[in-house]
Amino acid sequence: MIEAAQETRPDAVAPQAQPLPQGTRRPPRIVEVWRFRQLVALLVVRELKVRYKRSVLGLLWTMLNPLLLMVVYAVVFTTILPAAQPNFAVFLLAGLLPWLYFSTALMQGLMSVLVNQELVRKIRLPHAVFPLSVVGSNLVNFTLSLVPLFAMMAALRQPFTPALLFLPAAAVILTLFCAGVTLLFATATVFFRDVRHLTEVLLQMLLYLSPVLYDLKQLGAHQSWWFQLFRLELRVNPLSYLIPLVRDPVYYGRLPSVPTVAVALLWASGALLVGFAVFTRLEPRHIHHL
Amino acid sequence: MRDGQIILQDVGVGYRIYREKVSTLKEAVANRFRHLRTAEKFWALRHVSLQIPPGDAIALVGHNGSGKSTLLKTIAGVLEPSEGAAVTQGRISPMIELGAGFDPELSGRDNVYLNGALLGFSHKQMAAKFQRIVDFSELGDFIDLPVKNYSSGMYARLGFAIAQDVEPDILIVDEVLAVGDERFQEKCKRRIQDFRAAGITFVFVSHSLSVARELCPRAAVLHHGRLAFDGPTDAAWERYRELERGPAPGPVFQA
Repeated sequence: MIEAAQETRPDAVAPQAQPLPQGTRRPPRIVEVWRFRQLVALLVVRELKVRYKRSVLGLLWTMLNPLLLMVVYAVVFTTILPAAQPNFAVFLLAGLLPWLYFSTALMQGLMSVLVNQELVRKIRLPHAVFPLSVVGSNLVNFTLSLVPLFAMMAALRQPFTPALLFLPAAAVILTLFCAGVTLLFATATVFFRDVRHLTEVLLQMLLYLSPVLYDLKQLGAHQSWWFQLFRLELRVNPLSYLIPLVRDPVYYGRLPSVPTVAVALLWASGALLVGFAVFTRLEPRHIHHL
Repeated sequence: MRDGQIILQDVGVGYRIYREKVSTLKEAVANRFRHLRTAEKFWALRHVSLQIPPGDAIALVGHNGSGKSTLLKTIAGVLEPSEGAAVTQGRISPMIELGAGFDPELSGRDNVYLNGALLGFSHKQMAAKFQRIVDFSELGDFIDLPVKNYSSGMYARLGFAIAQDVEPDILIVDEVLAVGDERFQEKCKRRIQDFRAAGITFVFVSHSLSVARELCPRAAVLHHGRLAFDGPTDAAWERYRELERGPAPGPVFQA
């Protein structure tokens, strides 16, 4: 009805059918993101700066945070529920650090497009810079938190082996995975705000469904159906392959097995491909839902 | 296609208007995604074709909700048209809102670099501009204070100072001249005149005839998302007034 009332008048400019010049298409999204890599770096610095500006301990928090968590878990698993692992603190920390990297990056990253909506509304830039910068700042945190891990290893006489040189590769694979999952959840959160609460609950469940606080080897040979199901879940769970990337070199002093690395890499690249594809596909529609 | 050129061809930007506002997965699942089917499309902009050659200056006028800002955002690349094509060539400096992207916790200095990166400049390139930006903004030592402590005038000054120094091919300005004191406004206007003289394409949204006439010889009138007029600023203003006066004499505009 309103539509009909808006017929253009004769003096209005009629749409001219003119061929658009060639070579003026938008560049591929991946190129756009790459062009803004300095922005990602700057956003990472900003995030770290803002986060630690007001705290006396500053960057120390990054190192203290996993340590305090570890103390809680260590107390629970050594005194309340006795665990079989020697040097349990190192074992825990080696599993918790990659887990905290993943879960924190995801929880912060899924809100990142919404949090930065003022920018998204006003400046043309690839929205992926926001979740990616969150992953970046958490990578910095993860790297920093290796310091207390090494301190703990030294204190508990855990041997330092050459296998530790694998850690940079582990960090890369973890980062690819985190980036993919975070991109996917960040775009979903734009459309459905409660994805955040859902993810919170899912992460809590996932912590216990993944070999973070325990090791696959510790599982007994129960035959009940639910235990079979649990084993199946552990085989599918990407974290069963990602956590050992850190824990094997740190705690067992050996390189992760080739199949483990292969599956982890497959999961990581798959997550990134799917995450990036879905994110960029939905990106033009973000602005209508902010 | 040369730098500074803007071609809009039959551009339409449609929003889905949902009868029920659904923003959570729970609601979406609860009513089985019905909101997607009952959604109506609202066209904020439709069948808009404009050719703006490099170095041209055009003012956009229209009532509130006529689609001016939508058009500006489409040119800036913030919005993608749902119909037609919007093509621009060259670097765009979007002054859609001054200081968009400032982080209140960071100092003015950090924000200059952050804003530069948002516009696609490297740290090195911004370092070269830094002193000029501070000088233009007249902030002096305040540049090292967190911008949350700035007055709104200081905020806008820094925003304009950055935007005016990014060597754009296309300058987009949305009512920013309404901020800052009169002296700074004059300074901004002069700077825009400089840009005009340097052959930079200029797109300007205005509610004021005097400013529009001062800066742009050409104006486009938007009315309910349609392009109602495109031509000399004075004639455009006439048309705008005529449309504002209510039902226009022509039968087609009677709602």
